[in-house]
Amino acid sequence: MDVSTKCLLQRLIRRIPSHMLKTTLDQWSRLTAAQIQSVDFTESKRTLTEKLLAICEENECSVSQIAELEMIHMIENPNVGMWYAFQLLEPQDDACTLELIQFKEQFKSHLHQLLRSVSIKIKRHTDDAVWIRIAWGDGISRPNHLKPTYVVHYLQTSYVFVTSVTSKLKPLLSQALVLSTKHHGIKDANLSGRNLMAIRDLLMNQYQQVFPSKYPSLLAEENQTVSNPRIEKEQAQMAADRHKMACEAFGDGTLPQLQSAVYKLETKFKDPTNKTMTDREGTFKCVVKFASTNILESLRHCASSGIASIPVAPLLSSVTLKARNRFVITDSDPGPSSQIHQAQNNLTTDS
Amino acid sequence: MERTAAKGVLSHLCLLEVQARSRRNQTQQQQQSRVKELKAQLEALIVRKERLKAEIQAHKELQKLRLSMDKQNAPEEDENMDDDSENSTLLRTMARHTQLKDLLYAHHLIGGYDIIRIRQGKGVCVSITTAYEAIYLDTYNLEINLKPKVRINRHNIPPFIPLNVLAEQTNVERDINGFLDTVTQHLNAFAGRKQQLKLVKEQHKSVEVMESNVLCSILVLLFTVPREKTAVLCTLEYNDHTRCLPTRVLFESEDKQLPDSPQWKKNCNLLMETPVHRALLIMRKAGNIV
Repeated sequence: MDVSTKCLLQRLIRRIPSHMLKTTLDQWSRLTAAQIQSVDFTESKRTLTEKLLAICEENECSVSQIAELEMIHMIENPNVGMWYAFQLLEPQDDACTLELIQFKEQFKSHLHQLLRSVSIKIKRHTDDAVWIRIAWGDGISRPNHLKPTYVVHYLQTSYVFVTSVTSKLKPLLSQALVLSTKHHGIKDANLSGRNLMAIRDLLMNQYQQVFPSKYPSLLAEENQTVSNPRIEKEQAQMAADRHKMACEAFGDGTLPQLQSAVYKLETKFKDPTNKTMTDREGTFKCVVKFASTNILESLRHCASSGIASIPVAPLLSSVTLKARNRFVITDSDPGPSSQIHQAQNNLTTDS
Repeated sequence: MERTAAKGVLSHLCLLEVQARSRRNQTQQQQQSRVKELKAQLEALIVRKERLKAEIQAHKELQKLRLSMDKQNAPEEDENMDDDSENSTLLRTMARHTQLKDLLYAHHLIGGYDIIRIRQGKGVCVSITTAYEAIYLDTYNLEINLKPKVRINRHNIPPFIPLNVLAEQTNVERDINGFLDTVTQHLNAFAGRKQQLKLVKEQHKSVEVMESNVLCSILVLLFTVPREKTAVLCTLEYNDHTRCLPTRVLFESEDKQLPDSPQWKKNCNLLMETPVHRALLIMRKAGNIV
């Protein structure tokens, strides 16, 4: 094993938490049972790293196999680093009958055509997601396995989730994806987060949404906490209405975990009390960022507790409605479809 | 007691007499007010009885109207109505209202879609239930704006069901019923295929699912033939997304003659016509697969 392979393996083992190490190695199935038995997984990381390095040297593990191990770990533990969502546009007629094997072959061949030196691994996960690991190389150098890009795609949907990829290589990846999935274009879905499942659930409508219904289902009985019957809430009905509208806007139960919502404003400043700013020519550029460990829960709580006004403002409810967390807001003159039109500008110095 | 001892027995007797007399007066007053109360209650109860009688009468006539309406399935003039015309039209409208409510409830019970008005009539929310083999599966919801233009607002339908394409194809602006029927078909077929896959995984552990996808439009299964232990790869393509049955069945095996044998040709037809989990049961009973 050469130096770079050893380095890769070392970094990988250090990254995998000790309690997951054994199961990941079992899944990898490149080490014999005896070898795995000989390792004591309760020892310190450093000793473990040395031992496993020695065993892999013995087995003469190649870079490709170590990349496989990294992929297995990543699939089990995808919430490391940022994921960005993209949407494929204009499917061809036979896009919906695309098979896995076809997609694999096409993607590999297209990407190899665009860039000679890439290392691609494709794996299908149990939930029908296709995982792709790409190690990029220049025309001359070998693929760099220390900074791979991961791509997750569900066949027959138009969504692709990508971890970090440099702006130089992004168009190559986009082209390979578009051609192999039989679409005509790809665009940024303006949704990003650290939690892959969260952005997937948001895009694929797999979180618990609330709709008005004539026959509320029997199973959805609310857990009425039996509080002291002598205490009566003054505005119980209003609070219940607010909670209902907040749930309709953002969803019920546990919400997908998004970390931020960013609004980029390119509008004219309008505040009658501040003449200097209002008289300025040109647009007023400003970025408003909401950040939280779970921004949707925070927004829902704001709405149901009355901090945000009800009915929920379209700027806030668009996060779930349009499944995106990056917005550009311009004045009410018509703009491209990815921007939200705001009829009245409500910019004050407080916001 | 000391007072009586001080004043004497006679004065005590006087005291008692005064008390008795005042109590008698009081009782009379109490009795009078009690009588007044009871009389008022009586009046109220009589009024209530009259009102309830009138309601019962109205309900009886409503029932008669409903019976005649259900038989003819259309509102018609009832010549036997003795009441004045205002009363009869009101009753007829009420009967029609209850008839429609019962129809809607029946539609809901048989698994059809429910629809309610939202935003003061500017939009509707449709609830589509899916079911397969008499088991209710997921419910999907759609909010549609009717004014100013028919537009789908928000929904929890998975993205691989192409709502926008279906809306264009069925011309949703003119025929919302057609659109909803198509969506219901697609959703029910998808739920049916998903349920079949789930049952295959549960009931047939010896059959390995090699490939499936989120739309459940393709299914690749690996069978093992008993005795020879040959592997057979079976590909089921569901290209018609409004149906729960495959459009194409393909067999591949190391034994090249196996797919052409009459037994497996029969299996091919079986898989085209029977839901896959039941077909596998039949094939297993016939000894074709493990």
